[in-house]
Amino acid sequence: MRRSLFVLTVVVAMVGAACTGGGNQGATPTGPVELVMWMGYTPPPPVSQSLEYISLKKLVGEFTKTHPDIRITVRYTNNDNSLIKLKPALQGNKQPDITYQYGTNIAQLAGTPKVVDLTDRINSDASFDWNDFWPGERTAATAGGKVLGVPALVDNLAVVYNKDLFAHAGLPEPTAEWTWDDLVNAAIKLTDPAKKQWGLAFPADGSETTVWEYEAMLWEAGGDILNADNTKALFNSPAGVTALTPLQRMAQANALLLDFNPDAGKSENLFNSGNIGMIITGPWDLAAFPKANYGVQIMPSFDDPTNHQTIAGPDNWVIFDNGPTRVNAAWEFVKWFTAPEQVVRNSMATGDLPTRASVEKLPAFQGFDEKYPGVGTFVSNLQNVVKARPTITAYPDVSAALGQAVVKVLLGKADPKTALDQAAEEANGILAVPT
Amino acid sequence: MGVRRALRSDHAVGWALAFPAVFLITVFGLVPIVWSFVLSFQKTNLIAPNPPFVGLANYRALAKDPVFRLSVVHSLIYTALFVPLSVGGALALAMALNRKIHGIRLYRTAVFVPVVASTIATAIMFLVLFDKNFGLANWALEKVGLGPFGFFESVDGALYSIVAMTVWGWLGFDVIIYLAALQGVPQELIEAAAIDGAGRWSLFRNVTLPLLGPATLFLVVWSTINALQLFDEVYFLTRGGPLRATYVVVYYLFDLAFQRGIAGYAAAIAYVLFLAILALTIVQLWVGKKVVYYSS
Repeated sequence: MRRSLFVLTVVVAMVGAACTGGGNQGATPTGPVELVMWMGYTPPPPVSQSLEYISLKKLVGEFTKTHPDIRITVRYTNNDNSLIKLKPALQGNKQPDITYQYGTNIAQLAGTPKVVDLTDRINSDASFDWNDFWPGERTAATAGGKVLGVPALVDNLAVVYNKDLFAHAGLPEPTAEWTWDDLVNAAIKLTDPAKKQWGLAFPADGSETTVWEYEAMLWEAGGDILNADNTKALFNSPAGVTALTPLQRMAQANALLLDFNPDAGKSENLFNSGNIGMIITGPWDLAAFPKANYGVQIMPSFDDPTNHQTIAGPDNWVIFDNGPTRVNAAWEFVKWFTAPEQVVRNSMATGDLPTRASVEKLPAFQGFDEKYPGVGTFVSNLQNVVKARPTITAYPDVSAALGQAVVKVLLGKADPKTALDQAAEEANGILAVPT
Repeated sequence: MGVRRALRSDHAVGWALAFPAVFLITVFGLVPIVWSFVLSFQKTNLIAPNPPFVGLANYRALAKDPVFRLSVVHSLIYTALFVPLSVGGALALAMALNRKIHGIRLYRTAVFVPVVASTIATAIMFLVLFDKNFGLANWALEKVGLGPFGFFESVDGALYSIVAMTVWGWLGFDVIIYLAALQGVPQELIEAAAIDGAGRWSLFRNVTLPLLGPATLFLVVWSTINALQLFDEVYFLTRGGPLRATYVVVYYLFDLAFQRGIAGYAAAIAYVLFLAILALTIVQLWVGKKVVYYSS
């Protein structure tokens, strides 16, 4: 309830955008080009000590100093909401020039002509070196054959484990050759209800947070989410069942701490306080574990011992059309900001993984491992990012169906095969609807 | 009539005074209402321009949508529990608080505090209180040999946990309304009935309760509308889970429109919900007219 306030906020945003729309001309012939940029990982100071925000502001300041004809207003817009907020902005023709968008948003964004197709600009500029970005990033920036974004952030999943709990349970620490059987056995051994201790934390809200952890496992087992032309679900294959079985085994042994509200940070807090043996997560979480003596290991493998695939959540800078002058200026900035020299400085300032492969070899990148302990494993793990989630508009619906299947198994309401078959049926129904 | 006279007239002053409210209601109320009505006949994700009109397809799709049906059932269960528990509970509390005892102001304030606390603060508190492994509720239950219960984390219990939390959160508001109504019960009526030999129960049943009729009708109508629009608590506490156990109509609508980009269909759900609430309110007011006693 108190819904009225929420609705009012949405309505104010929509109407506000509608009322002020239209007058979106950029620069007057004489003055500098004014750009608006949305970004937001964590709130800027004083609310939170957002390293990303501070680093971005610094680099923007540097850029505008050398480009006096361009001015950039950085607005904090929580990344979780940037697609939601973009909708009223587009309705009112008041779109920002540059926005931070999750990789999973790209297919929906492809539906508006106001998003700038960067394909030609990227192809015609050899110095930009598009192939320097990781393959998973490039896929996530592309929809319908068009490049609609430039990678802004890349991360991937690995297993973070508590070294002390492993030692206490007499378990050897995981190696890069470990298997899912090893993980399941360790999780069961690490579980002790009397001490309120669990082997592994797993998100169980059925959202994309649940689904992408499972998708990494699915790829490791040799499976796929959809077929090549994205018309049919493939996750209910034997590989899909193989991938879901370790979760079922751990759930049955009560070795999982199921987190039904993963955004609230419960799993992270419990890992930090030594109540959880392992957590599958990305580099962004390491700062949440100051108390835990942790190690990081790549994902375990199934039958193929060389397949330690992971999943990346690459996000993008997406440019919107406010006239050619502003588009050119926005591209000028994004190009500069995502060049190796800036990427390396941003990574060193924030601990974010470098979005470009060449950055790892830069002298300025040396010392990253010491500055951000454990992140090194995530950097090398980028090579295990082979596949990407399908960039189609129906993906959120497919993901919702798959999420329900995983949670059913976690809660013991269905076995993997039945749950995945049901989800596949639902997904196929969704995919059959023409878009 | 000269301009001057027109400006000085009561009409001009009236309009000038009403303008801010009329303007805000039009812009923030009427325009979106009409707009979402148009949306409900379109296939739109609010991103692509010139969305196609699809006639009644969105409304027809509702009939075949199992998740919509599930959400409606959950909304109805929630409303059926929330309204009587909060209104009935408030009546009992208001009777208890309508006495001249030491520290009564403190008690009344305590009862009202949850209404003032923000939903999110309340939700965080209940999340901690009802935690399956570390919560105070389960600790207490364990002492008497029960539990642990999953509360928000259990498929069977999540919706009822939200009922418990929201009843707690809104009780204070209903209590204030009832307390105000109780102050309006004429003392001479109570005394007259007492002289005629009415006992405490009889006094309550035959004098106080009928005089509280208008307040009760207001609270029932208001709580029902609110309950059918449940959203914040679900969004924050359970995200509709576990396994869609707390999918209610407005949460489903939000999920469709803003997370999955199916805004036209979501607008159709909003209109169906609007009509359902309108119909229910009309029935409630009609029944109220028959049974509620207005003293004036």
